[in-house]
Amino acid sequence: MMLILTRKLGEQIAIGDDIRITLLEIKGSQAKLGIEAPQSVGIYRSEIYEKIAAENLVSSQVDSPDVSLAEALLYKNRSQ
Amino acid sequence: MCPWPRPFCTRTVHSEAALKIETTRFGDMEIDEGKIISMPYGMLGFPQSRRFVLFPHKEDSPFYWFQSLDDPALAFVLTNPFLFLSGYSVDLHETIRRMSWEETEHGLSLEIYVVVTIPSGAPEKMTANLLGPVVINNNTCQAVQVVLSDSPLSHRFPLFGNP
Repeated sequence: MMLILTRKLGEQIAIGDDIRITLLEIKGSQAKLGIEAPQSVGIYRSEIYEKIAAENLVSSQVDSPDVSLAEALLYKNRSQ
Repeated sequence: MCPWPRPFCTRTVHSEAALKIETTRFGDMEIDEGKIISMPYGMLGFPQSRRFVLFPHKEDSPFYWFQSLDDPALAFVLTNPFLFLSGYSVDLHETIRRMSWEETEHGLSLEIYVVVTIPSGAPEKMTANLLGPVVINNNTCQAVQVVLSDSPLSHRFPLFGNP
């Protein structure tokens, strides 16, 4: 479920006690947001977060024999 | 191919006790408690695994295993990005601030690794994720996966044939 709020320029949204999002600028279809949050909170553009999380999931499936194969391939390449 | 010497974790701990851990890939292992690397925020997409150990795949291997202690099945293959891309650089100012890492009298001892993907049976298609490097602080034995925004680098950089 998504909560939808309408905000005017300069207005804020509070998430919990310590996160504030401010609408700083609107230009055509782009909105500029200012985000204040504790250091422990990771703030990313979703598409980059999802790209890395998805790649982590693929990477976590690698098994040991394939690492040995990859290693042998690099050594072979290096010695040629 | 010889990776640079790695002290891994150099934190001094009072207990040098060996800890038995369970892993899916390597069976039961004994590790030095002082070598446990804590990831307060986990790897992206795996927030529940917070403790890892790092060990080479084989002696002098360019590949390392980053094995979770919280999930026996969870392990990542890491490598030294500079072996493949000498010009790789990561701005760590924001990371150092977020992790509240402070310099000791020996300075700040950070190591940068990248996560490797090796498709099963196709090692020539191995890639590294240059957008989400893992940074380890050897003094505190903490690690974090950094997210590089606004970077032209690839999350599937081919390792075979580079350099």
